[in-house]
Amino acid sequence: MSQIALPLPSEGRRARVDSTLGMALFIGSWSMAFATLFLTFLILRQRQPVWPPQGVVLPSLPLAGLATGVLLASSVLLHGAVARLRAGRPGFASRWAAGLVAGLLFAGLQSWLWIDVWSAGGRPDTDMYQGLFYMLTWFHALHVVCGLLALGVIQAGALSGRIHAGRATPASSVAIFWHFVDAVWLVLFFSFFAL
Amino acid sequence: MSGDHIHAEPTGFLRKHVFSVDHKVIAKQFMWFGLVWLLIGGVMAMMIRWQLANPGTPVPLLGKLLYPRGDGSVPPDGYNTLFTMHGTIMIFLGLTPLLIGCFGNFCIPLMIGARDMIFPLLNMLSFWTVVLGGLVGFYSLFVPLGAAEGGWTAYPTLSGNIGTPGSGETLWAIAVFLIGASSIMGGINYITTIVRLRAPGMTWGRLPLTIWGLFFTAILNVLFLPVIGSAMILMVLDRSFGTSFYVPATLNQTGGGDPILYQHLFWIFGHPEVYILILPAWGIISDLLSFFARKPAFAYRVTVGAMAAVTILSAVVYGHHMFTTGMTAMLGESFMLLTMIISVPGEILFFNWLHTLWRGNLRFTTPMLFSMGVIFVFGLGGLTGIYLATIGTDIYLHDTYFVVGHFHLTMAASSLFGAFAGTYFWFPKLFGRMMSEKLGKLHFWTTIIPLTIVFCTMFISGYAGMPRRYYNHTDLPFLRSIQHLNVITSVAAFFLGGAQLIFAFNFIRSRWWGAKAGVNPWQVGTLEWTTPSPPPHHNFDTIPTVVTGPHEYSHPALKDRDWLPQTENLPVA
Amino acid sequence: MNARPSGRSLRARRPAWLASLAALLALACAPALSAQVVADRWGPNPPASAEGHRVDTLFWLITTMISASFVIVLLLLLIPVLRDRARPGHRASYDHGSSLHDKRFTAIVSVIVFIVLDASVLYITMRDLREVVWNIPRPGGNTYQVEVLAQQWAWNFRVPGPDGRFGTSDDIVTINALTLPVDRPAVFNLASKDVIHSFYVPDMRVKRDANPGAINQVWFQPAVTGNYDILCAELCGYAHYQMHGTLAVLPQAEFEAWQQEAGALALAAWDGNDSEANWAWEWKENTP
Repeated sequence: MSQIALPLPSEGRRARVDSTLGMALFIGSWSMAFATLFLTFLILRQRQPVWPPQGVVLPSLPLAGLATGVLLASSVLLHGAVARLRAGRPGFASRWAAGLVAGLLFAGLQSWLWIDVWSAGGRPDTDMYQGLFYMLTWFHALHVVCGLLALGVIQAGALSGRIHAGRATPASSVAIFWHFVDAVWLVLFFSFFAL
Repeated sequence: MSGDHIHAEPTGFLRKHVFSVDHKVIAKQFMWFGLVWLLIGGVMAMMIRWQLANPGTPVPLLGKLLYPRGDGSVPPDGYNTLFTMHGTIMIFLGLTPLLIGCFGNFCIPLMIGARDMIFPLLNMLSFWTVVLGGLVGFYSLFVPLGAAEGGWTAYPTLSGNIGTPGSGETLWAIAVFLIGASSIMGGINYITTIVRLRAPGMTWGRLPLTIWGLFFTAILNVLFLPVIGSAMILMVLDRSFGTSFYVPATLNQTGGGDPILYQHLFWIFGHPEVYILILPAWGIISDLLSFFARKPAFAYRVTVGAMAAVTILSAVVYGHHMFTTGMTAMLGESFMLLTMIISVPGEILFFNWLHTLWRGNLRFTTPMLFSMGVIFVFGLGGLTGIYLATIGTDIYLHDTYFVVGHFHLTMAASSLFGAFAGTYFWFPKLFGRMMSEKLGKLHFWTTIIPLTIVFCTMFISGYAGMPRRYYNHTDLPFLRSIQHLNVITSVAAFFLGGAQLIFAFNFIRSRWWGAKAGVNPWQVGTLEWTTPSPPPHHNFDTIPTVVTGPHEYSHPALKDRDWLPQTENLPVA
Repeated sequence: MNARPSGRSLRARRPAWLASLAALLALACAPALSAQVVADRWGPNPPASAEGHRVDTLFWLITTMISASFVIVLLLLLIPVLRDRARPGHRASYDHGSSLHDKRFTAIVSVIVFIVLDASVLYITMRDLREVVWNIPRPGGNTYQVEVLAQQWAWNFRVPGPDGRFGTSDDIVTINALTLPVDRPAVFNLASKDVIHSFYVPDMRVKRDANPGAINQVWFQPAVTGNYDILCAELCGYAHYQMHGTLAVLPQAEFEAWQQEAGALALAAWDGNDSEANWAWEWKENTP
């Protein structure tokens, strides 16, 4: 089979179900990890008499809010890119790149958030609030880094032609992972700034 | 359809034997890895038993080498490291790679009629991740302040900086995390493969029970390993970054953590983990008892239902490990009731196994002996669980040798016997040669007899009140008076350890010089016995079409033989 | 259709069944009896607390039942081994066990097993838990209160002096030696200074963890005077095996004499500035 010819539709659909099941299990598994860490957050937070504790360095709400918005935007862009790819319309590579750039921007804003807290004296060992904040955001950040790498690999694939309308599943799988990272961030954001 | 086109075999030594994506090669890698670590863990057990029987005496052969600073006897902190690493190694680096990594990888594609796992690259990654985890664990044995000493359960605050300073415990936590990640990858692969790559006609109702056992194990792996992974992350943050998730407010300046939180997180994983280890063994022997009794597996659907019930209930019984921690009455009683309930599906499995043998035509091959051995050891161990499920008696028996005897019989012996049964059974398909039946039977008898003595003596010691994880039982008069129980246990343990050399010899000799095996030496109907021994790279020349179940033995209409391959229809009666 | 082993009906084989059952039950008693021999030689000392016998009774009930169960399992394993081995001309019975009859039989046996093995034990232990274990005596009256601070690797005991309050100058503080009056309920507040320990008195049939940062309660009533061992039952470091104390249960008169003497010594030795020695906490009740 040549690279350019489209495979049979049934093969594409079958591969799509395989990948989706695999991704669902992967995300289910990782949700258990995040759920455990959130449960820890809720339990330990509930033990503190005052929340946030007195004198603690709080992460900047505007900065976190901006980061949330950027991350949401990146998800939307990636989703749009994948939809275009499956529909066979052009422009996948550029939209995906936009999503990737937004992701990188999020990572930059997240780093700024940390530097902000760190330079004001907020360290993991300063306080339970700080400990929980760093724990959750570092674990999340690990997934952001892996996600960005995966986004990069797909971008390379889009540019080299290995990702195309007949082989969209890797892109949609990575996009699903990124949406998961986004969803976890939303829960994190809500937990720290609204609860 | 996906998986139907045949890929060319890889060339080059590295692609073929080291970084292979072929499930059969990866299975063998897991097998060798698991067997080597079982040996290391076993040697540690022998050292533990030496110290308990002969406190303060230099360990023969290994003592001077391992403890050069003293006289070659195990020091107290070294002893704590020994039982910590023995437990960790046997569970995570021995049994898991062998039972789940090897048999899962080897059997699943072949038994369901597929060419390989659905995510071959993920499969290879899963193996190398467990190797990395093993390396980290091995390295941790040699760090200056010593390796992990907090028990495989690693309760804080003993496992925090207060109790165990140094990098040993931190590296242990990282190793456990990596090994967990490997099992999660494997679990995702196994579930997706079983769901998606079954050959035409291989309905859920025609799957061998081995596959069902591995399927449920994979589900538990995927769901609960992340919990202990998270618990380890919190531990590493506490140890290396100064957080206080597990350190109570009375012991630190920065806010109230909770050591009991760890216990909950650990056992939410830990109890499903024991089912993770036993479900593949249950699945394997449910099949093998049928194969060697030449009789259908009794009540196949009920067996599957019982395994499913155990899987679902496994997470809600975990509190029975924590009855003495000071939990509320309601919580304690709930866990007790649920633990009693989860024993019912286990009993049903027993019933089905015994009924499978009843009025069969029993062939006492080595795999059959080990399968029946599981009935014996799991029966003994499982029944003693009632003492521990009942809060009244558990309060007395918790943290005594009674518990050690119980979990070794149910978790270690049963899983190991399942692994041995599987090894003897699938060895011809893995390596194209037969293991020696004579040596196999000798291995069985020289294992089960000392094993029963070792762990039943522990029931007596525990009942007498002998606590576990004690370096020396001769300090207290009442323990001194039962020290001879330790000696009996240790002597039997040395015989048990020695008997495994029979297996090692048999395994290695047969691997290269054993009698060549035919396609179907056991006359069994599952799909892996329709391909050559060992199978070619692509497993099946054509994907088989399945028309019957895996346990069609001794059908009255079969005249010339008593078995039927899954690809053949039942004769019209 | 599943082939059934041919032969006489169940009803016709009833005498044989009854005889086998009787023999089985008789045989099943054997392990229980030998278990008695084991207990006499290697068992713990008779319980020295007022309610400790409940643990032993429960223990024996379970032992008897599981011994009988195991004998039955062994027989069901042995009979096929002897009777059904493969030999020329012999064939297995073809039975998938999936008939309604089989499913009903399985269900009935499971229910019977659950009722016999589990429900009986559950009933008895729930009664014991509610009457004894969760039923911790309140302070005041006859109750004797002890605060226990576990540390690596010793047991610190504190009893309030005549003023009845913890943390005052007349508290009697001992290390590794606990003295209790006979026939009075003793209630313990358990805590730890560093890692998790577990307060285990085998002769009294009690065990409860001593956690850092939290207080656990446990109680028992010593019924027999004498000296008993206190062990640590939770891994707490390299000297875990050396962490033990002695419990001395004294008759009324001797106990009062001890209290006088120890109390006087405590008052004399009290140093208000020694914060480490004055580790008391306000008595905490946690109703389990």
